[in-house]
Amino acid sequence: MVSKKTKAKVRGSALLSLLLIMTTATACNNGNGNNAAAGTGNSPSATTSASGSAAASSADAGPSGPGGKFDPPIEVTTVRAINPAAEIAPGETYDVNVWTKTFESDLGIKVKNLWKVSTEQYQNKIAVTMASGDMPDFMDVDAQQFQTLVEAGSIADLTDVYDKYASEFTKNSFAGSGDLRLKAATVDGKLMGIPTNGGETNDTQLIFIRKDWLDNLGLQPPKTMDDINKIALAFTKNDPDKNGKNDTYGLSLDLNLFNGWSGLDGYFNGYHAYPFNPTKGTGTNLNFIKGADGKVQWADVQPEVKTALGKLADLFKQGAIYPEFSVIDGMKSAELVTSGKVGMTFGASFVPGWPLGNMYKDIPGSDWGIYPLVSSDDQPALAQSTTVLPSHYFVVSKKSKHPEAPILMLNKYMEKMYEHFDKNYHTVTVDGKDYGELALSPINGNMPDNNPKAAAAVQAAMESGDTSALNDEQKQYYDQVKKFEAGDKTMWGASKTWLEGGVFNLQGQYVANHKIFTSAYLGNPTTTMVAKGPSLRDEEVKMITSIIMGTKPLDYFDEWAKNWLASGGQSILDEVNASGQIQ
Amino acid sequence: MSRRNWRLEWPLHLMLVPGIVIVLLFSYGPMVGIVIAFENFVPVKGIFHSQWVGLEHFKYIYHLRETREVLRNTVFIAFLKIIGGLIAPLVTALLLNEIMKKFYKRTVQTIIYMPHFMSWVIMAGILIDVLSPTSGIVNQFIVWLGFDKIFFLGNEKWFPYVLAVTDVLKEFGFGTVVYLAAITAVNPSLYEAAVLDGANRWQQTLNVTIPAIIPITILLTTLALGNVLNAGFDQVFNLYNPSVYSTGDILDTYVYRIGLASAQYGVATAVGLFKSVISLVLISLSYVMAYRFANYRIF
Repeated sequence: MVSKKTKAKVRGSALLSLLLIMTTATACNNGNGNNAAAGTGNSPSATTSASGSAAASSADAGPSGPGGKFDPPIEVTTVRAINPAAEIAPGETYDVNVWTKTFESDLGIKVKNLWKVSTEQYQNKIAVTMASGDMPDFMDVDAQQFQTLVEAGSIADLTDVYDKYASEFTKNSFAGSGDLRLKAATVDGKLMGIPTNGGETNDTQLIFIRKDWLDNLGLQPPKTMDDINKIALAFTKNDPDKNGKNDTYGLSLDLNLFNGWSGLDGYFNGYHAYPFNPTKGTGTNLNFIKGADGKVQWADVQPEVKTALGKLADLFKQGAIYPEFSVIDGMKSAELVTSGKVGMTFGASFVPGWPLGNMYKDIPGSDWGIYPLVSSDDQPALAQSTTVLPSHYFVVSKKSKHPEAPILMLNKYMEKMYEHFDKNYHTVTVDGKDYGELALSPINGNMPDNNPKAAAAVQAAMESGDTSALNDEQKQYYDQVKKFEAGDKTMWGASKTWLEGGVFNLQGQYVANHKIFTSAYLGNPTTTMVAKGPSLRDEEVKMITSIIMGTKPLDYFDEWAKNWLASGGQSILDEVNASGQIQ
Repeated sequence: MSRRNWRLEWPLHLMLVPGIVIVLLFSYGPMVGIVIAFENFVPVKGIFHSQWVGLEHFKYIYHLRETREVLRNTVFIAFLKIIGGLIAPLVTALLLNEIMKKFYKRTVQTIIYMPHFMSWVIMAGILIDVLSPTSGIVNQFIVWLGFDKIFFLGNEKWFPYVLAVTDVLKEFGFGTVVYLAAITAVNPSLYEAAVLDGANRWQQTLNVTIPAIIPITILLTTLALGNVLNAGFDQVFNLYNPSVYSTGDILDTYVYRIGLASAQYGVATAVGLFKSVISLVLISLSYVMAYRFANYRIF
């Protein structure tokens, strides 16, 4: 498996080269861009309008609602990010595949890709596209680009077309979590984009503990945060792997501090603290808490954070945390854990698959227990989630003749993926080899909580033995679990993912019991967050790292919190409080 | 130029055209983009329609707390690297030159040249293991010698030197090849004359070889000075971590974290422009110095 971090670093280098060629790209493209307004740049939409205006002039030729079809067919343009490593089924391409064929035959929409680049270059290429003014009819952008496009006034207001053309099923997929996703896409009462993700809480953390180590030492699973600290120390000092050497650590941690793997998010949550500012993050995805006076406070400067930091510093001092955690990334911390050196970690839903997936097979006798977060007192612990708000949107160019086309395609996507799951659109098997079809679709949507639902379905089927209610996707998971029960050790991850007591089951309990914390602020990054966020993030990361390692006293926390307010924090709070986007 | 010369030389000028066009297109053309440093650049609006903010980005950078620290780190680290990158290959080349066994010489040359082709992503992975205080071989050696373990990558004091040493280790083989080539070009009759005068190997090196390769040494050092503000993004980015930001953070990594990751293009371009101006001054200075003190002209 390629490391996420390594990739990030490669991308880092790539981004720096962008800095160097930034000027080239914009200069050249702008030269074209100015002509493009009159010339080539518009040709895609010009072709659209050629066929499109014909359709528009005889307006009834187009669809009038969610189920309609364009006749004669229209062409819409888009741009694509592709994963060069992904293998495509023989005979299919990103331009012509089962999805585009369906869109053309069922909806009368021909999709044309203006360009395709690798996922890593996509964001840069989009920036250049935005600069050149040569926008396709619709495209996928991130939250920051979304905001830029809204401010520049170059994308279409989708309020009416969404109301008119989105199917009931599509609308329902946005209904969860208080319409939060659509709210995030709405600016001044106008729907400016369609969120492609968000609405999920599968980043809430769980506690992963080496069950065989607990048994070796005669310990019980944790009920409180004190238990967690005791287990961490016992794993460090009492030779839990019985090899006679003092070579184990209690709690996994790496330089990312906040992360779905080896992060501290869940540890802090146990102390009712909700800080979030990953070392490699943007510094603008912050958690806010609403105070009694209705004003928001920043979660990271609350006294509970200091309490938890004190406990972590103590764990470090007693050797329960790898002494070099501050220089290792997620790949290295995963190596430590999978080589049997660390007994406990906090993590999100992907952890049983990676990095723990092969341990059950590779290290005989090893087994991980998964437990919900525990609290430091009699108040229940809330697990924080930062993925409730969308981070990507589909936007439609103002110049597009058919802003409804992407909505109709989304309807079709939701139908094939979720409403009436059709395996042909998910995976095809050619000569015994599986090829994913999902990435080929020019549009994509998201059904929040699809995985927890699948887990529930798999569990029900396991109990009753009746698989008739499972769709093809769920059946696949069911089969994997069955394989594990039949002795296939490589399927350990599947069992911990889908079964009762597995990650989705436990995360589902957070949702059912309302044990989830989300930020009180729903808006996009404010001006000061963008300007000062990264620099403030570095200060915070240094503060947390040095307090845990004991190079700074715990009270340094107060000094840092005061500094934060003085060097931009107060403006951030003011902007957030004035935003009117507080829940 | 006389008319006759022109008639003879015009094909040569014609051959120069593609090169000039490429330089104009890719080196001078993009300079228009420098204006981004003076405006509140919004990609959608383009460089000619974004809001003009004058020197605001430069003020912003100046007022950031870390800027001076970062600038100091950049110059210090680059300085260490230039010194190390000058001495190590020079000495190695002189030593290799004394080796008569061709096979041995070639083998050594190839082995030390190899790391040059490794990317810093891979090198960093290796170095983190090798330098680890708990399990790394370097620290085991230090302990065996009777000293305390050193947390090379997590200690602010050591980190700049680690950067310099690892960079030299990775690149000195490449420099050695250049110096060896220069040494090979020394006229053998000079050595013969020196031997007739009774010079031993050491005196030959001192009085024949070194003076002969001084021009190339000055050339390489002069070119290196232009890179003082490029302390090596790839290397630092892959090796550093929050505990060593205070001594290991260089301009490029800083701009990457502060500017590009959050799409502050104006700020990033302003820093780029600042770097270019400083580099231009430094390279002009070293050019003048090379001419004055070593009587060596690059142009």
